[in-house]
Amino acid sequence: MAIEDDVAVVGGGIAGMTAALAAAREGATVRVISHKDSTLRSASGLVDVLGYPPRSGGSSGDSDASESPAGDAGPLADPFEAIPDLPEDHPYTAVGLEGVRAALSLFDEAVDGYRGGHTDRNALVPTHGGTVKPTARYPASVAPGLASDPRETLLVGFETVTDFDAPLAADHLRAAGVPFEVRGVTVRFPGAFRADARVTRLADALDADERLEAGDDPSGVSTSLPARGALAAVVKPRLGDAERVGFPAVLGRHETPSIRADLEAELGAAVFEVPTGPPSLPGMRLEGALRGACRDAGVRFTTGDPVAGYETGADGEIAALRVERNGAAIPFHAESVVLATGGLVGKGVDSDRESVREPVFDCHVPHPADRYEWFDDDAFGDHAFARFGVATDGDLRPLDARGDPEHANLRAAGGVLGGYDFAAEKSGAGVSLATGRAAGRAAARQVSDS
Amino acid sequence: MTDTEVVVVGGGSTGCGVARDLAMRGLDVTLVEKGNLTHGTTGRMHGLLHSGGRYAVSDQSSARECIAENRVLREIAGHCVEMTGGQFVQLEGDPDEYFEEKLAGCRECGIPAEVLTGQQARAEEPYLTDDVKRSIRVPDGAVDPFRLCVANAASAERHGARIETHAEVVDVLADGDDVFGVQVRHDSGPGKREHARTGERERITAEYVVNATGAWAGQIGELAGVDVAVRPSKGAMVVMNCRQVDTVVNRCRPKGDADIVVPHETTAILGTTDVEVEDPEDYSEERWEVDLMIDELSALVPILREARTVRSFWGVRPLYEPPGTGTRDPTDITRDYFLLDHAERDDLSGFASIVGGKFTTYRLMAEEIADHVCAELGVSASCRTADEPLPGSEDFTVLREYMDEFGLRSPVGRRSVQRLGSRADEVLSTDGPNPVLCDCEAVTRAEVRDAIDQSGTDLNAVRIRTRASMGNCQGGLCCHRMAAELHPEYGEPQARAALDELFEERWKGERHALWGEQLSQAALTYALHATTMNRDRDPADGASVEYAAFDAGGADGD
Amino acid sequence: MSDAENPDGASEFREDEPTDSAEEFEPIEVFPESESMDLRPGSDDCYKCSTCDTSCPVAAVDDEFPGPKFQGPEQWRLKRKDDRDIDESVMSCSNCMRCDSACPSDVPLSQMHNTARGSFVDEQMDKLSREYVRNRILSNYRTLAALGSKVPRLTNFVMGLGVTKLFNEKVLGITSEREFPEFATETFREWWEKRGGPNVERDDKRVAYFHGCYSNYNTPEVGKAMVRVFEAFGYEVLVPPQKCSGTPMFANGMLDDAERAAETNVAELAAAIEGGADVIASCTSCSLSLRQEYPELFDFEGTASVAANTYEALEYLRVHEDLEGALADAEVDDAAFAYHAPCHARNQGLDGQAVELLDALEGANAEDVGDSCSGISGTYGWKEEKYDVSMEIGAEMFDHMEAADAETGLTECPTCAMQMEHGTGYEIRHPLQVIEEAVVGADAA
Repeated sequence: MAIEDDVAVVGGGIAGMTAALAAAREGATVRVISHKDSTLRSASGLVDVLGYPPRSGGSSGDSDASESPAGDAGPLADPFEAIPDLPEDHPYTAVGLEGVRAALSLFDEAVDGYRGGHTDRNALVPTHGGTVKPTARYPASVAPGLASDPRETLLVGFETVTDFDAPLAADHLRAAGVPFEVRGVTVRFPGAFRADARVTRLADALDADERLEAGDDPSGVSTSLPARGALAAVVKPRLGDAERVGFPAVLGRHETPSIRADLEAELGAAVFEVPTGPPSLPGMRLEGALRGACRDAGVRFTTGDPVAGYETGADGEIAALRVERNGAAIPFHAESVVLATGGLVGKGVDSDRESVREPVFDCHVPHPADRYEWFDDDAFGDHAFARFGVATDGDLRPLDARGDPEHANLRAAGGVLGGYDFAAEKSGAGVSLATGRAAGRAAARQVSDS
Repeated sequence: MTDTEVVVVGGGSTGCGVARDLAMRGLDVTLVEKGNLTHGTTGRMHGLLHSGGRYAVSDQSSARECIAENRVLREIAGHCVEMTGGQFVQLEGDPDEYFEEKLAGCRECGIPAEVLTGQQARAEEPYLTDDVKRSIRVPDGAVDPFRLCVANAASAERHGARIETHAEVVDVLADGDDVFGVQVRHDSGPGKREHARTGERERITAEYVVNATGAWAGQIGELAGVDVAVRPSKGAMVVMNCRQVDTVVNRCRPKGDADIVVPHETTAILGTTDVEVEDPEDYSEERWEVDLMIDELSALVPILREARTVRSFWGVRPLYEPPGTGTRDPTDITRDYFLLDHAERDDLSGFASIVGGKFTTYRLMAEEIADHVCAELGVSASCRTADEPLPGSEDFTVLREYMDEFGLRSPVGRRSVQRLGSRADEVLSTDGPNPVLCDCEAVTRAEVRDAIDQSGTDLNAVRIRTRASMGNCQGGLCCHRMAAELHPEYGEPQARAALDELFEERWKGERHALWGEQLSQAALTYALHATTMNRDRDPADGASVEYAAFDAGGADGD
Repeated sequence: MSDAENPDGASEFREDEPTDSAEEFEPIEVFPESESMDLRPGSDDCYKCSTCDTSCPVAAVDDEFPGPKFQGPEQWRLKRKDDRDIDESVMSCSNCMRCDSACPSDVPLSQMHNTARGSFVDEQMDKLSREYVRNRILSNYRTLAALGSKVPRLTNFVMGLGVTKLFNEKVLGITSEREFPEFATETFREWWEKRGGPNVERDDKRVAYFHGCYSNYNTPEVGKAMVRVFEAFGYEVLVPPQKCSGTPMFANGMLDDAERAAETNVAELAAAIEGGADVIASCTSCSLSLRQEYPELFDFEGTASVAANTYEALEYLRVHEDLEGALADAEVDDAAFAYHAPCHARNQGLDGQAVELLDALEGANAEDVGDSCSGISGTYGWKEEKYDVSMEIGAEMFDHMEAADAETGLTECPTCAMQMEHGTGYEIRHPLQVIEEAVVGADAA
């Protein structure tokens, strides 16, 4: 009777899907229950592990102790060296250095098309804001653009892709001291697209290699060309001596490798993407890849409705999740549950004027009582809100206000965890992978033990 | 021979109004402002175009001025004004006597006033509480103070005035008992603001100096050695994400905090408080003020309790009362304005200050001081500011055919034209593609570039002209797009500095709205700018990076 | 034909009472003269991430369509009381409602689109235009079907004639590329009456079947399968009078038509719920309509109760019976399917259900052909000017169907089924029919 699985994962982002994958590989039957599309679609698609050490202020929220990190601490060349020194309440501490490495191995093996596994070193990737950022794994489409690679570079922007201004980004990269020549040009994307055509639309045109209006040829006859060739034709005259060409991330939803190959063949230069977003095509591709890996591992997905409540068993453990569909509550039974609903952006952490809460299980979320202590006065200051989330024990079980596990069979992973500022540290995907894997494995093992 | 005939200090509504008035009378005028236009109180008000109803009981002469100026502004500044209408709403339990007094007062002052039943009031404003007993409908309106102020400055420039923003007066030049000009410090320039360009000091001599600095009038007075005892009073305003009301909703009861909701462009603004402060630039902005607005006004419009606010801001009223009046409660200080002729008052000729007053009557105040200056300088030209429309409001017959012409989606075209008025054609007709840069407020590249042409690298000046970055994301998704428009006309470091400045300015107000949806928004913005763009640790801003220590790509190619 | 005999009270359109929701955060009728809802507060939930745009199948192929973010929260937020112009691109929205499931922040996107479309049709569309007349006809398929099915053979013959199709395309703008669905010679309700109603009677296990138009007029075998399966699990099945669920009307902005139909449906179904029944639908668009669109757009007595007590047929059995156990004990012959999850099933969280259930059934296999939209979106793909877009959206699904190891299609949605058949030539079945074969027996039909 009813719908039963060994492990239910609430939330379908990187952390949730990694937890599901890890649990399924332990032999559990697993269901991912997710309400909405994940925030991966807004994220860059890079897998950051640790780009900068946490601010010295740590979780105290004392802004005086944490002034201006940019000046004194450059990016970490080796993230793994720094992990053992992280504070006690950092999620990496719960999983340990080996947990992080194992999660990256799982990722490298399950997701095709990512690079960076050949070294422990971080890579510096050009950003659409014109600077560089440290990351540990990056899509193959980003690889030729790394800032430590000295090849001369041309950045190409499009008039209507307003998040990436290539000439400005080129000047900015120069100001950031990159070790290569870089120029930027703005061109019109071929074809007769409207000014508000979305990047996904341009990506679809390249995916399908649609024939696009290429303007009038010298004799005045209007011609059309396949999208990839037309794009290369626009860029080629501006190539100069550049050995690689960077575009905003619009090179297809699905066919990125062949689009790049075609452009490279036409241009005679390496082609790469500069991650842009939102919406982020690299993020969407990563979502698709993780989903595929989960499906292959037998994970089931139930999407579109929120978990609005739960039922508990005799010992206070979670017995079933109640998924709400317009007032009807559909029970989903599971023996072990992973909470991976994300942070403030993913709505795994919610707030009102008075307090901060975790809406699914109402887990305790430590936070200052006065909301004027939730933020710093500088836009990039040491924000307490950035570290909002549940605190856990070493087994990733969320703790209540007294420090006891909320439920014996509930674990948390990813953005819903507190104690780290993924944006400042550049550790978002890494924490999601590492805690997702650990929570998923532990959940599955709890089932097989019982 | 002086550099200019008149220096006007202060680029708010009054200063710009004075500059326009004098320039239209043929005088040579220079206006100096230490920040952007509207930097002071003008840019920090709730945007109410008074019908006079608010003063109909307590201050009938102000009320009469308001209704007269209200009618003038509808004519000369149609593209800045939205005639929303307003209501004074009586809830169950609010005093009947006051309601009757208000109604009688309106009628005495010539303010059209009509009583609505509770049901009618709610038919007009469906989000009003069902506790509404009745209301008085008056011709309140909404006005965009930025646009109005900028239009006045533009008109002054068309009539030959020189407008210098980011030019702070550091000295008032006096020769004994006669003021003959000011010394200013330009942030950059003279000319349009440009980040990273070193400014100069400049002496500007003039036959007459007008101190139109409102709450700052005491500081300028001090430079000239005269005492101008303004009593700055701060008021808090909370900006809602969208419009819960389309008419101005006032609570009909004797004075009190948090009693008005003004529909303003795409938002609604809740106001306000009245607390005297020492310094118009240094005062606390407190949580209780924000909470008070929401809690009090949700008694009037209950949906406000759960609705999203995007930011809060505080403005400082330039209240003034003649020495010796001694009013203790700032809410009792008159809202009337005063022209202080320092020759008469302090034996200092060539210098006058204008203090007190309110935004709705800025033109009237400007007219009075321009009359005074003209009398002093022996100029006989008369005021034309009430008759000649402002730039953007000249011709409204062109405004309905905008959609197809500019290739914009109809709501984008509509909003663009609502902002640009009769300038729409000149601004929006472009050769290249004209994508929307600010999705929240539907601001296109062409409009941003037009604003940059007017104001240089100052993106806050672009913001107040266009509303770009003033919507729900508070610039999170568009401020870098705006900055990109500065390049290549301006250099990358300038674009970066301008972006940082706008980003911090947006954050300053958004901090007061950080819960619920706006906290999620702030977290998304933070993630986008810090994680994806790494703007918080940008090596271009800080220590150099040893690139060779990082992964340069795998041996497997790609 | 009980509803044809029932001169419905719906034509006496009742003016809404003034809404009394001041304490609630609910959309209310803000512009009384236009009867439209004020959904500007819905924009409060939008943080501009554009996830909705990435999931919109129309924006992916139709350059004129700006996507749900603009069409929904942005357009609404920019509106002032006197602004009446809705961008006409709202008519290109196919109402697949994928944006609803995409949005990480609970923006009521499809509600915004439905409402804006309703206002556009009311205020900006020429009521004598071909487009209006055509959309009105398409959205009132049930009326057409009720007439057509009285003489099904003649109708099928006439609809198939080239001259009819030419008339439809040239005069009405209904594409001639598609074959009109054939009317059954006996409607589901005729079968039900002839059968004498339910075979099981019990008051503790009772469901009211909302068959919708298509199962009644075109594929009564789906309705029969529903009845037999539920009776096999010991349920008493009621078949209350009913009108069109409103799905095609919402999609075409015909909110008045939808409201009339909804009023009858809500009254009848709420009465059945009072009598102890839960409501079951076999068409996922019908169940979505009852569950989501009614409460978002209408405020009849009983709307919330109907929404909370309506289920898709297999979803219901899965929750209340050991359906997977029953399937595990059963077996069918060589039943391989290419399964497409309709957008509206996806919206109810049902997109994985059919595959999961057939996994448990020996001899059966359903291969999911991916999460793309079929492209037909009810009446959308019937419009002459939308036909190409519709087929372009469907292309991915067709490819995956061809690639799947099956020669029969499977889906819960009748119009998706049309599109699947149109694009591949496969026979298309409903999961209930497979379940019927497993738990009732192949000979039952």
